[in-house]
Amino acid sequence: MKPSVASLYQAVEIAQDIPPLLIGERSNTNGSKKFRDCLLAEDFDGCLRIGLDQEAKGAQILDLCSAYAGRDETADLTRLVKLYAESVKIPIMIDSTTPDCIEACLKLYPGRCIINSINLEDGGKTLDKVCRLAKKYGAAVVALTINVKGMAMTADEKVDTARQIYEQAVGKHGLRPQDILFDPLTFTIGAGDQSLLDAAIQTLDGIKRIKQELPGVFTVLGLSNISFGLPPASRKILNSVFLHEAVEQGLDAAIIDPGKILPLAQISEEDRTFCFDLIYNRDQGLEKSPLMRFIDHFAARVDVAEDDEAEVKRPEEALHVKIVRGDKDGIEDVLAVLLDRYPPLEIVNQILVPAMRHVGELFGKGELLLPFVLQSAEAMKKSVAWLEPHMQKVDQEEGTKILLATVQGDVHDIGKNLVDILLSNNGYKVFNIGIKVPAETIIAKARELKVDVIGLSGLLVKSAIVMQESLPQYREAGLTMPILLGGAALTSEFVATSCVPNYDAPVVYCSDAFAGLKALKDFEAGQLTATVAAPKGGQPRMKPGVKDVNIDRNHPAPEPPFYGLRHVTDIDPAKLFPYVNEQALFRGRWGYRRTASSSAEDYAELMQTTVSPLYDALKERALAEGLLQPKAAYGYFRCYSEGDTVFVETGDEVMAFEFPRQSSPPHLCITDYYRTREEGGDVAAFFVVTIGEQIAVETKKLFEADAYHDYLMLHGFSVEVTDALAEYWHEEMRRELGIAREKPSDMTGYVTQGYQGSRYGFGYPACPDLDAHKMLFKLLEPEAIGVTLTETMEMVPEVSTSAIIAHHPQAKYFAV
Amino acid sequence: MRYICANCGYTYDPDQGDPMNDIPPGTAFADLPDNWVCPLCYAGMDTFDPLD
Ligand code: B12
Ligand SMILES: [Zn+2]
Repeated sequence: MKPSVASLYQAVEIAQDIPPLLIGERSNTNGSKKFRDCLLAEDFDGCLRIGLDQEAKGAQILDLCSAYAGRDETADLTRLVKLYAESVKIPIMIDSTTPDCIEACLKLYPGRCIINSINLEDGGKTLDKVCRLAKKYGAAVVALTINVKGMAMTADEKVDTARQIYEQAVGKHGLRPQDILFDPLTFTIGAGDQSLLDAAIQTLDGIKRIKQELPGVFTVLGLSNISFGLPPASRKILNSVFLHEAVEQGLDAAIIDPGKILPLAQISEEDRTFCFDLIYNRDQGLEKSPLMRFIDHFAARVDVAEDDEAEVKRPEEALHVKIVRGDKDGIEDVLAVLLDRYPPLEIVNQILVPAMRHVGELFGKGELLLPFVLQSAEAMKKSVAWLEPHMQKVDQEEGTKILLATVQGDVHDIGKNLVDILLSNNGYKVFNIGIKVPAETIIAKARELKVDVIGLSGLLVKSAIVMQESLPQYREAGLTMPILLGGAALTSEFVATSCVPNYDAPVVYCSDAFAGLKALKDFEAGQLTATVAAPKGGQPRMKPGVKDVNIDRNHPAPEPPFYGLRHVTDIDPAKLFPYVNEQALFRGRWGYRRTASSSAEDYAELMQTTVSPLYDALKERALAEGLLQPKAAYGYFRCYSEGDTVFVETGDEVMAFEFPRQSSPPHLCITDYYRTREEGGDVAAFFVVTIGEQIAVETKKLFEADAYHDYLMLHGFSVEVTDALAEYWHEEMRRELGIAREKPSDMTGYVTQGYQGSRYGFGYPACPDLDAHKMLFKLLEPEAIGVTLTETMEMVPEVSTSAIIAHHPQAKYFAV
Repeated sequence: MRYICANCGYTYDPDQGDPMNDIPPGTAFADLPDNWVCPLCYAGMDTFDPLD
């Protein structure tokens, strides 16, 4: 007799004359939302209707699964088995991994069914139990190629694992080869994961070789996973073509939604070609990847009968989608289902980490914006936190370890924290030891924690110098791990020429957190190398600025309302919002940029639906909770210029502020805008402004609560409000000097300096020397408004800014 | 087409060019020299988003 399974009513041969045997997948709490909803509502007849519908659409066997966190699987499944056994003509497949539940069902079922499934993930304990049951009740079994090392990815691994299972099931438990249906596992080729480019080839090869090397056994595939990540209409086509290819290799059965499979004849030659290129990873000598070509080709396709296709997701897919979309809602439910099937570490390594990698790839291609990446990281964090109690301690000890610190004298937190978020949520072990960390502490910690890599961060040029100068100390301490350097004031040039030579292991410049991620991957691959200076040859970057050479030396100095310093602490925060540079906030600080694939209309919609409401809510919150405490320390001083120096008179002292001069025409220097003593002297104005410590305290709380997206938003908001305060206070000072004239009509007017004079921030290109902060602090005593200076000239709170103001109408920005 | 600097909000308008960098009116964004930077904040060209 040919190997068959049977219900009360009919027998079905596993090897169909026209393969494959179609196993309907929708009577499954993890595969169908409808089915799950029915079950949760105890609507067992509703569940049954879904089975009957699958039968009507051509299913020859029905997979039946009731696993759902928080419910009694055995009670549910036995009830369903009874119901299905009576009412459905075709045989069933019992989809459970719990031996007791399986046995309860086998006892009840009046025919020969299939058990779905066994594997070797726990070394064989569960497999032994289930095989004994299969033997006792005469059932067939689906066997997944998973062993203690995890899911088999390559054809070799698939065949090896199948053989191991075969030896146990046949050799030890006396099952016949024909009682086993091997599932060599399908992974998606639709998500652009680089490690899965040949996943379809491996699966097809696996089918062929299992059939050859283990004669008599059958093969089965959970098919739809192959196209996971792609739009529904193209999935249907790819699934159908892939099924055809699998059958060619000897596939006997497929677990699918029979209503969602097309006969090959209904698929055009052209469509098939795109599918084949993707399945067989053929580049055809074209620049675009097979996946991109596939997506482009099917971009306009809409599936007429989309119904609840979006729900035809296996839990593996569902979790992947949730991570990529940054959707935390109900993620525990999906995890609970997966935890029934895989060890927690496997869920992390096989589903979560690849999903985050995919997120990174999308970001790299400019298809995903930073705020959404952070939402994905939040979903990742939540998942791992949920799984953690189920993991053994040793699990967490594995993997590459990195220490992160902001260097001495620097309180800048967010740069390294974003790196922390990205790395830790990509499976790396991160030790984030905080801000203002002296080199000695970093060295000691690196030793103690036995980290593989060190990452240093900083905001200002002074921190870059700290990095450069402390590297010999790391060398002398005998450290040999690579060191990654990041921060806005660093360049690859500086790292290559000034840092790399100071240390023996690779020193690597990282322009952003993703560069850090790449560096760690390179490190693991043994390919991490020190940053090298770009070959000279290209033009040096332009030095833009005013080209005005004939500066009017007779421009009269305005009369300030007072000479000396003043402190103002009662600035109304609401007055600052009109001065916020929204473009810089939305695009620059928040990362809501226009992606390559979005139109001006798409972008306007994003602004309207997401970004503006977010901004409005933050303004409201900041005012309601008193997060903004704007204060100013400012003053006007008699001064005169002499060469490249402005001498500032404070009454009892003369301070010399030196500025650099452009080395090429028009050879400008800030002093050119101030009259000399002979010309009658001038007025210099200065300020230090801050929005206070409170908002940074709140910002930090968000990071600590793993609210990464909101963290970036509040931080970006705080820094742009600080800039707005500078803009506002500069205007107040113009008013006091009587040079305010008409206000610029919009933000662009302020950005392009549509007012009289200019303000030069210390540390910016016309005025790069941050050591001037020492004199400035003597002049203005900003300690009185709560601003202090670190040993590396950084102002604390971080959301503070300083400037020298020139009133001369020709004074504008320029770079030295 | 105009382009906007994501770091500072400066808009490059081909009709105006960029006098601070000696770029004459009528120069398309794509035709700017590779070493061109934002005239206000010195960010590189990849910091610019298309505006229209
Ligand atoms: C926002 C901003 C401000 C804000 C606040 C800063 C803050 N963070 O709170 C305000 C307006 C207050 C401000 C003030 C000042 N600023 Co400012 N500021 C910036 C700006 C635009 C962004 C900085 C930022 O917060 N970025 C967001 C974070 C997340 O980015 P990040 O720290 O760079 O980190 C990323 C990467 O660098 C990298 N990374 C960082 N660390 C690490 C570590 C590792 C291991 C890895 C792998 C990667 C990595 O990954 C991170 C995430 O992708 C930069 C210019 C720029 N576009 O970057 C200038 C900039 C840093 N500021 C500058 C200056 C000069 C100043 C002032 C001195 C001006 C003044 N006189 O007032 C003050 C100093 C403030 C102080 N407290 O002392 C200069 C620094 C140059 C210098 N001479 O030091 C810059 C570079 C601008 C410029 N082009 O000249 N500033
Ligand atoms: Zn700019």
